[in-house]
Amino acid sequence: MNHKIRPMIRVRNLSKTYVVGEEKAEALKGISLDIFQGEICCIFGTSGSGKSTLLNLLAGMERPTSGEVWIRGRRISQMNEEELAVFRQKYIGFIFQSYHLFPFMTAVENTAMPLMFQGVPRKKREEIAVQMLKKVGLSHRLMHYPWQMSGGQQQRAGIARAFASRPEVIFADEPTGNLDSKTTKEIMEMITGFARGYHQTIVMVTHDPEMEQYAHRVIRLVDGVIVGNERRFQGKKEET
Amino acid sequence: MKSHDLFRVCLQNLFRRKTRTFLTVMGVVLGCCSVMIMISMGIGMKLAQEQMLSMMGDLTVIQVFAAGKGNRSKKITPKTMDAIKGIPGVLAATPRLSAEQIPITVYGGKDRRYRCVYWSAAGIKADAAEQMGYRLIDGEWNTSGQNKVLAGEQLAFLFEDQKRPSGRNMREMGTEPYFDLLKTPLILEAGEEGKKMVWEVKVSGRMKEDFSKGMETSEGLLFRIEDLQRMIDEYQRAQGKAVKQKKEWEMALVKAESIQQVAKIEEAIRKLGLSTSSMESIRKPMEQEARQKQMMFGCLGAVSLFVAALGITNTMIMSISERTKEIGVMKALGCQVRDVRTLFLLEAGTIGFIGGVLGMLVSYGLSAAMNIAASAGLTGGLMGGEELEFLGEAAGAAAVSVIPWWLSAAAVLFSVLTGLAAGYYPAKKAVEVPALEAIKHD
Repeated sequence: MNHKIRPMIRVRNLSKTYVVGEEKAEALKGISLDIFQGEICCIFGTSGSGKSTLLNLLAGMERPTSGEVWIRGRRISQMNEEELAVFRQKYIGFIFQSYHLFPFMTAVENTAMPLMFQGVPRKKREEIAVQMLKKVGLSHRLMHYPWQMSGGQQQRAGIARAFASRPEVIFADEPTGNLDSKTTKEIMEMITGFARGYHQTIVMVTHDPEMEQYAHRVIRLVDGVIVGNERRFQGKKEET
Repeated sequence: MKSHDLFRVCLQNLFRRKTRTFLTVMGVVLGCCSVMIMISMGIGMKLAQEQMLSMMGDLTVIQVFAAGKGNRSKKITPKTMDAIKGIPGVLAATPRLSAEQIPITVYGGKDRRYRCVYWSAAGIKADAAEQMGYRLIDGEWNTSGQNKVLAGEQLAFLFEDQKRPSGRNMREMGTEPYFDLLKTPLILEAGEEGKKMVWEVKVSGRMKEDFSKGMETSEGLLFRIEDLQRMIDEYQRAQGKAVKQKKEWEMALVKAESIQQVAKIEEAIRKLGLSTSSMESIRKPMEQEARQKQMMFGCLGAVSLFVAALGITNTMIMSISERTKEIGVMKALGCQVRDVRTLFLLEAGTIGFIGGVLGMLVSYGLSAAMNIAASAGLTGGLMGGEELEFLGEAAGAAAVSVIPWWLSAAAVLFSVLTGLAAGYYPAKKAVEVPALEAIKHD
């Protein structure tokens, strides 16, 4: 492992405590980790392990109680909402468990959405969207609305959307949680394929052990503490 | 986000909830309509009043009278006339001379066959006649030459045929008079036998009857003031009385440039020590009443627009609570805070705009229907109150509801503003939705 490369995502002493009434719940207890460019990182953990909280903090959706998160050398844990929005536009993509496509928009419009937020003209962004949809194998579903597509097709559109603006980091929240095993395999191969092609970093939260085979880095969380951080090379174990 | 993208997404959002959007828009349509109809009725009332007043007399003409009696009285002199002309806003001013003190008989027709004894004479400056609101039915304003006069509308029927027996020697009004005043010169005669004064005048036009101007418009002659003055002077001299060298008049007419200036001019003339009279004293309280009613109507209408605004707010808040997840996803995908705000304000504003435009169109339709109904006499008594009854036949002609262009523009603008105001709070709520909503599992 080359330690000279600056990590894409750098986490130091990250803690998050939720206060519910009088009760205090420590979701994360001082986590530190590095994720490098081009890595596909899987965060494993049972429910309540703090894996979702970690993803939220990494993506800047929540503020940590203490500790810092850097992405591309920028401290996102200190950014305000406006700065975060601009940062997300430029560098971050999202894939959601329940796809979250907009029901009143076609596949093309949905895919082009992040580009629309960036202010890319309609013609140009829809061209890109069509290309992306063709790459995910939805060339026959371009003008379909989400309710006219199966779950797998919807997630493909979701992937096309996440990759459309070529973000450097993509966060995925249980991307295959609602899919059967055959579709899961297709989807995962698609995600890893894209990521390899453009040297993108992927951070994925899951509880499906099958995912391990696609990951370069596997982080295991139990009760808000990292119990395992393995670096793998092409599916083989490599201790760090 | 580009502005046309914002607009597209806004329309998509409105369109996907057709029923709700439609109902909310209907609320605005009703509100906009009630404001417009109420105000248009106020305007219609005001116009009807003005129409009525202008039928009663020219609204911009002020009558000026000499005030007081005896030596201390204030007369209208050429000097005061100059002062009046100097008041800002005065378009024209003329003294008005009447000749009630001398009996003049008028003869007309061949060999002085037709005679008229009782008639009115008045003299004003020839060039001011038209400005003072005198109207011609026949002939022209050719009063520049000496001894040219304008005849009253009914003057021709006051002549009696001297060759017919009394009782059957006059023509009824509305029939053909004995002779055409405009074609034959009239002979004016005054004084007793022996020292008779005779003048010949030519009628150049026939005036429209207007009693607010004076009897001369109906049963008399309107002279150039110089001619009438000369006739009076000659008569006085023949009677052996001294002729006053100093010109003085009992009355004058002043024309204001606009209705708004009438009150100010009147005040200035009163400061000269003269008394005045104009339609202003009637118009003002009527206008105030009309304005009050208009305000009242407008407020009633505004209440329904306010209810519509609550409807918009309610709809928007509901749609936001439904779309919480969506807003979260949008933010996660990089939609900026200001775009979220704009999007929701735009939705509310668009509801206001569509409602406003539809409301405007419906208002035009309703207004037309009301006017048709009013002219058919269905709502005449209902809408106008005493004023319109007072108006008599004129009320039939006046529209009950009048929508000027500025009212329709203001109504649409007001609806849009209402929409934006109603959308302010929901938009604020939408902005506060965290991106985290996208990931939350429910």
